[in-house]
Amino acid sequence: MIEQTWDDVIDFMAVAKELLPEGATYSSCVGCGLCASGCPASGLFGMDPRRFINMAVQGLNEELSSTPWVWACTQCKRCAYVCPMGIDVSLLVGVARGGWPKEDKPKGIVRSCEAQMLDKSTSAMGLRSEDFVEIVEETVAELRESDARFAQINAPIDKVGAKFVVNQNSREPAVEPEEMAPMWKIFDYVGADWTYASKGWAAENFCMFTGDDAAWKEMVKTRVDAINDLDCEVWINTECGHSFYTLWKGVERFGLKADFETASLVSYYAQWIREGRLPVNADWNVNNLKFTVQDPCQLVRKSIGDPVADDLRFVMKALVGEDNFIDMQPSRSANYCCGGGGGFLQAGMAAERRAYGKRKFDQILATDADYVLTPCHNCHSQIDDIGTHFGGAYNVAHIWTLICLSLGILGADERKYLGPELAKINLPSTP
Amino acid sequence: MSNSGARVLETEVLVIGGGVTGAGVMRDLALRGVNCLLIDRRDLNAGASGGNHGLLHSGGRYAAADAETAAECRREGELLKQLAPECIDDCGGMFVAVDGDDEGFAQRFPDHCKTAGIPCEVLTPAEARQREPALPETVITAFAVPDATIDPFRLALENVSHAQHLNGSDFLPHISVEAFDISGGIIKTVQCRDLRSGDLVQIRAQQVVNASGAWALKIARLAGCSDVNLLYSKGTLLISNSRISNGVINRLRLPGDGDILVPGGTVSLLGTSSVTISDPDDFRPTVGEVDRIIQEGAQMLPVLNDTRFIRAFSGVRPLLMASGAADDGRKASRGFVLFDHEDQGLANFATIAGGKLTTFRLMAEKTVDLVARRLANTVPCKTATEPLPSGDAIRWTQPGLAARDWFQRADPTDLILCECEMVARSTVDKIVKSAPGAEDHMSLKAIAGRSRIGKGACQGAFCAMRVTSHLYDTGVYDSRDGLEQMRDFINERFRGVRPVSWGEQLPQMELAEILHCGLAGLDLPDRDETDGSS
Repeated sequence: MIEQTWDDVIDFMAVAKELLPEGATYSSCVGCGLCASGCPASGLFGMDPRRFINMAVQGLNEELSSTPWVWACTQCKRCAYVCPMGIDVSLLVGVARGGWPKEDKPKGIVRSCEAQMLDKSTSAMGLRSEDFVEIVEETVAELRESDARFAQINAPIDKVGAKFVVNQNSREPAVEPEEMAPMWKIFDYVGADWTYASKGWAAENFCMFTGDDAAWKEMVKTRVDAINDLDCEVWINTECGHSFYTLWKGVERFGLKADFETASLVSYYAQWIREGRLPVNADWNVNNLKFTVQDPCQLVRKSIGDPVADDLRFVMKALVGEDNFIDMQPSRSANYCCGGGGGFLQAGMAAERRAYGKRKFDQILATDADYVLTPCHNCHSQIDDIGTHFGGAYNVAHIWTLICLSLGILGADERKYLGPELAKINLPSTP
Repeated sequence: MSNSGARVLETEVLVIGGGVTGAGVMRDLALRGVNCLLIDRRDLNAGASGGNHGLLHSGGRYAAADAETAAECRREGELLKQLAPECIDDCGGMFVAVDGDDEGFAQRFPDHCKTAGIPCEVLTPAEARQREPALPETVITAFAVPDATIDPFRLALENVSHAQHLNGSDFLPHISVEAFDISGGIIKTVQCRDLRSGDLVQIRAQQVVNASGAWALKIARLAGCSDVNLLYSKGTLLISNSRISNGVINRLRLPGDGDILVPGGTVSLLGTSSVTISDPDDFRPTVGEVDRIIQEGAQMLPVLNDTRFIRAFSGVRPLLMASGAADDGRKASRGFVLFDHEDQGLANFATIAGGKLTTFRLMAEKTVDLVARRLANTVPCKTATEPLPSGDAIRWTQPGLAARDWFQRADPTDLILCECEMVARSTVDKIVKSAPGAEDHMSLKAIAGRSRIGKGACQGAFCAMRVTSHLYDTGVYDSRDGLEQMRDFINERFRGVRPVSWGEQLPQMELAEILHCGLAGLDLPDRDETDGSS
């Protein structure tokens, strides 16, 4: 008999009908293939977004429930962005992920989520609140000591009523605390009234990537509660993509009450430069080093859209010089995901992740850039990794590094992501 | 054209008509050791065998009006489930009445089923909705019956393929009968035309079987027989983009339009209409029929109002007309009749007409019993016990199979040509190489009839071009012929899409137009079709 199972597995067509807007469900697919041709995950595990839809239409629910492709799709939503019918495949990729038995899910993602659940810090690297406070305090003390200009600098924690509350990716406090300093220096430079929250400060959320909505909600709730408690105006998300999306989207999706605005640090860089409060320029770039920028999908396409991509380019051009900035094609909301998103970096699927990243690598190579800047930690790691793997000669750096470099306040120990040609440029003078 | 250039073919039995009945006759003969040649003016299942619901009737549909046909359906259905399980989805079925339907008719249904020996289980409306969530709150009565669905394309392919392997019996497509040379009450030669090459083909056979379905009357007349009288009843069906119900859902009332929804593996088929027509060669689905079918069907299944339909198609039921009977297709017998034509003065001609897809095997058995008797062949019929063998070139019409197969192999070198149904290059290659009816320059339509190509939502928009390109790449096509094949195929698909072009299927059709007209210019005449002055 024809084998057709109609129970016990996810009915993808039914879920699509429930979750997707009318006219953009899977039954609206015209098969044009714009999604598949623009998807860097196309071909991995024999799948692509169009096939995902076609298989759902054909009722191949068991296959869709079990294909490891759902962990190679970074849920970047480029397919939805280019789809003439507006069909979002990524939403059901998330549903499929959630349907996997926990023991079969990629362990790296599961463990990161579990680490986040351990403590109100929500850190995927298992850094507890008291550890974070201690590391920040120590690092501030070192900075005050080493640089007279910042002898009074502060990195407030749990300051009630500050204008901004800012989050911090765990990588810096856990592995490279000196990388926290450039952002503090920028806040100090513009005189921002800001604070960290000792709870929910971590700028990562792997629980969303496990497909476990309850865990995602718990993470966001911990953070929103902590931010609400501080009674601040604006929550500024650091140079990170998915930590913005996960909170911004999570508030809406789970109906949480957030007493604050959400904003990207990139938008504030742009605002402060426009206002003259961050008087950056490209004078330091005497050798006309070329720069490109990676638009984080989570921040641009999936959340704020082209306005933040415009801000990003405004900042980049101000920093490196109009002629030294070369955009990737396509870019902004149509940008390709680098392959570091969606938990792919932590999924233990290096061969597939790099195959995915090849498209990004080729895009970067076509710009001839010496540097790739990106306000996203996952993009940063992935683009660095594919550069090494495929033999690229570019460096990957944070934006805060370049801002401080341009302002002449970037310390010698804050240049680990810069090449040797920039090791001595614009070093702060020691009195 | 002179006869001297004609191809001459010889066989023991010539079977005219490549529907499931002809295919069944061919296999039955081969199982009895008789060599035969099956011909069709077009291709396998080109008529009613390919233009139906694919419903393996429990008999419930005819229980009230025709207990004999109902009982036949039940017996044959049970046999086929044993002998050809790979062609069958034993999904079960249901008869459902909703508010406003004749409750008296509904109440009598179990008794009718009992008379015909059809198992019939009473369901509460809640139970019915649990089995079929698409059913509305307005269900008043429901009965479960052992309906199933059958893939008529695979069924025909398996019958023909088995016969080919048994004793070298053969099938030839696009061979049209033009005349019978008769002398002394015996058909000596059947004059045919190869419609592709235009060549005359003369076929000499000891016995000739007319299993040409809706064309049985025309063929019988060509042989000088006036005893076959058919009523042509056009039935139109709609295909949905995805499967709507778990099992077959029948409206519990006297047969009417749009009252059966049948799963077709990955899709559902809704039908039918019943429109009496005068010529089995001139029909197509109309917008009016489509509207009526959905309007009627939605009373039982409101979900049909929001369902994406990707295609409509029509078949012609060849119904036997008893002399003096009313001109009404719904009331005509669904039984079959075997004509030995001996009272018409012919000793080696037989016509099998009427019947159902479900009863094709029995029709073939009765026909071959007669033919075998005439050939003094005493081997008994084996089709009631011998399972139908499958094969790697003849299983691709099964919905969802290509996708599952490809997904399991995930061989990146085996490119997918048809994305909707995920039909890979290797599948096309196998069909072109060894499916029944495979030939040089095999038509795209014929390949599609042996696979799921062109059956998905895009209805050939992409795969027509991709498969054609692949066939040029592999040398199957080497001239303008391939482009003609592609255009034929696209035109045929368009006929079916046109009456359902609203809602979600409309942008699909516009995309196809952009590809076929805007990009490929297929709406323009070929340069060598014009006078050459351009």
